[in-house]
Amino acid sequence: MSDKRMRVMVVDDAALVRLFYRETLRKAGFIVDEALNGLEALEKVLSEAPDLLIVDVNMPQMDGITFIKTLRRQKPPVAGIPVLIASTEAGPQDFAAAREAGANSYLVKPIEPDRLLAFAAMMCGVAP
Amino acid sequence: MNEFLEQFVIECREQVEQATADLLALEKSPLNIERLDSAFRAFHSLKGGAGIVDFDAMAEAVHGAEDGLSYARKGTVAISTTLIGDCLACLDQVIQWVDEIARCGDLPKDASKEAAAIVARFSRGDGMGPGADPRPEVEQPVGWVATILAKHPDAAREAQCALRYTPSADCFFSQEDPLARIARLPGLLTIDVSPVHPWPQLCDLDPFQCNLVLVVLSSASETEIHKALADILDRCHIEALEATVRRPASSLSLDARSLLEAQLTLLESTDGDDFAGKVASAGAVAANVFLAQCDNGLAISIEKATAQSLAEGQTAPIARAIEAILFEEAAKPGAPLPFGTEHETTARALRIDARRVDSLVDLTTELTVAKNAIGHVVALAQNGDEGLEQLLKQRFAVLDRLIGELQQGVLALRVLPLRHVFQRFPRLLREIAAGLDKSVNLVTEGSETEADKAIVEMLFEPLLHVVRNAIDHGIEDKAARLALGKPAVATLGLRGYREGENVVVEITDDGQGINVERVRQVAIDRGVVTAEALAAMSEAQVTTLIFEPGFSTAQSVTGLSGRGVGMDVVRTKVVRMGGTVGIESRPGAGTAVRFTLPFSVMLTRIMVVSAAGQKFGIPLDAVVETLRVGPDAIARVGAAQAIVLRNQTVPVIDLREALNLHEGDRRRDAILVVANVDGVSSALRVDVIGERFDAMLKPLEGLLSGTPGLAGSTLLGDGSVLLILDLTELCR
Repeated sequence: MSDKRMRVMVVDDAALVRLFYRETLRKAGFIVDEALNGLEALEKVLSEAPDLLIVDVNMPQMDGITFIKTLRRQKPPVAGIPVLIASTEAGPQDFAAAREAGANSYLVKPIEPDRLLAFAAMMCGVAP
Repeated sequence: MNEFLEQFVIECREQVEQATADLLALEKSPLNIERLDSAFRAFHSLKGGAGIVDFDAMAEAVHGAEDGLSYARKGTVAISTTLIGDCLACLDQVIQWVDEIARCGDLPKDASKEAAAIVARFSRGDGMGPGADPRPEVEQPVGWVATILAKHPDAAREAQCALRYTPSADCFFSQEDPLARIARLPGLLTIDVSPVHPWPQLCDLDPFQCNLVLVVLSSASETEIHKALADILDRCHIEALEATVRRPASSLSLDARSLLEAQLTLLESTDGDDFAGKVASAGAVAANVFLAQCDNGLAISIEKATAQSLAEGQTAPIARAIEAILFEEAAKPGAPLPFGTEHETTARALRIDARRVDSLVDLTTELTVAKNAIGHVVALAQNGDEGLEQLLKQRFAVLDRLIGELQQGVLALRVLPLRHVFQRFPRLLREIAAGLDKSVNLVTEGSETEADKAIVEMLFEPLLHVVRNAIDHGIEDKAARLALGKPAVATLGLRGYREGENVVVEITDDGQGINVERVRQVAIDRGVVTAEALAAMSEAQVTTLIFEPGFSTAQSVTGLSGRGVGMDVVRTKVVRMGGTVGIESRPGAGTAVRFTLPFSVMLTRIMVVSAAGQKFGIPLDAVVETLRVGPDAIARVGAAQAIVLRNQTVPVIDLREALNLHEGDRRRDAILVVANVDGVSSALRVDVIGERFDAMLKPLEGLLSGTPGLAGSTLLGDGSVLLILDLTELCR
């Protein structure tokens, strides 16, 4: 990990999933913030912008797709935060919807730790 | 042939062209120092090139000419016709060798003899033998470093040093074991062993003489290598490799690649108010991918492109930047990435191997097929899964756009200036005119006019034919010209210009023009036209008779033209390029021959029809309309058939009969494709009319080439071959 530690916000309503992200990413040197749904994530992002957002699709209050659409319509630099969608859905319409909303990449759950770290590192611009 | 030789051959041809042009100019104006310098530089580069690829004989011959020119530069010898002639002879020899090298990768065996003859030309009589030249030897080129780096790209990445060790011939007697020595070298990556002199026959081989050159890459530093070889340094060349030489681009991992591709698709989905967010995030991710690989240069260029996209409100700059990197990487791992400010300068001259361009053209054709295939799947998916259909439609649109751009790019690649063909003429004119004892001055104009590469290349032959004819038959000999009050030196013009979508090439001379009376006489004598037809012709029409097959006005058969092939060959060649030939002649004042040629090779829109279960393509531009008529509408006229269409009788050609296909039943109603060929309508009866698409027509090759009734072939969506019918032939 380079000198600057990267801040990742994980947005997922399932506590177990958040735990997985937290443990995996922290061990690799990332700072991990958490939010339980899109609405909460939006509030947190506007107060402190992370380097990467990892977002679930199905969440109460505000789902992942709506969250990304809203995020992309904010002012810069918030609008331009890289987003990784993580979803159990793997149909082409899910990919298309995520892309149209403005997600930068898509991983299908269950996610392997190595793969998560590889993507997180690349999307934050740090050597894995 | 390896890449070095390919490059060498390309460069040689260019240098020879340059030198030839310079020498011819020098002959006209011997005091033109710039031309002399330019010619000298061309010879110098030729020699350097020959040295790099180890063609010693060629280097020697060119060195002779270079010496000759260097004395001229110093003023110790005058620029004479003899000197120019000798230099041109040297270039002729070089071109012969280059052709040989291009063919089989090496100089012919007797090259050194020929080289000696060339060198002898320059050392005769003037008391300035090669030894008298005090010019210091040029530095030894270090092409071997480039060679070994190219040969071992993997090792090249780690190598810090390249070493070339030539053991002395008697090294075995001084207890030196070169191979063992090198094998112990620190950081050894690769060893290439080659003979110093070509290996002799086994019976002549002296096994006690060392005839080896060892070329080595090592990851150790230059100092370490120096230390290890301290006692044999005099027989070693050690080159420290600069980081820039070694650094082939880091190749992207699969994940990085897929991330970059995902950013491209993301960029395609932008609309309206999420534009800034999408572009900024895609740009950030793309830049981060490179940062993660410690490639700051690429990250910076991506950031620049992102800023440009945001400023312009267009996704194009960032999308192009990512595409360029992905494409570069895929096309050529290890190539340095041409990115940054100098990349943005406009109109850079590119040197492209013709075969690579041709393969690009083939690739485009394949891509077009791929696009058609997806279009086909879209049609299938219409009943199935909605998401799938949506996705496919998007991919189709993307492919369509990409292919459109690619094709534009490819066509632009194929554009060459007419200079490429024009520049061969000064030299030829000198020879042709000298052979006929006529003096001709060539004036070229518009040689920067561009045309498709295929056109430019095919142009040479018909052009040469017309030029020969003009000099041989058009231009009078010196005495006759003087008697007529014309200047003794005739003028021949080669002019190129754009005219709308066409490129026009004109060949003019100020000779005697065409003797219309004689043309009439010959046309009758040789049965080219009937007397009645001839009587009805205007003078201009009579003049064009010289393009008819079997016509040749040559009174004397000279060595140059009038070998029984007339101007009809010229017309055939030009028509094959899709062009037309025109001629204007003013008796006593001269002749102008004009080729009007298409600018580029274009896509043809194809309609698929079928007869007796077989599919054929018809170029859509000839199709006027399609009809379905009842069986009674077609009337038999003798052996033929016809229908009446808007008070006009149109002949019906049954595709089954025309192609001799008689399988399966056919429906009662007739489906007709009405085509207009050369202003005449014909109806083609087919069984079914199918899809339409764009294709680049490929002429038939091999056994099928020249089959009457077929214009070419392309591929259908399912990959099967579709033959394109030649309507001109069928409707005749």
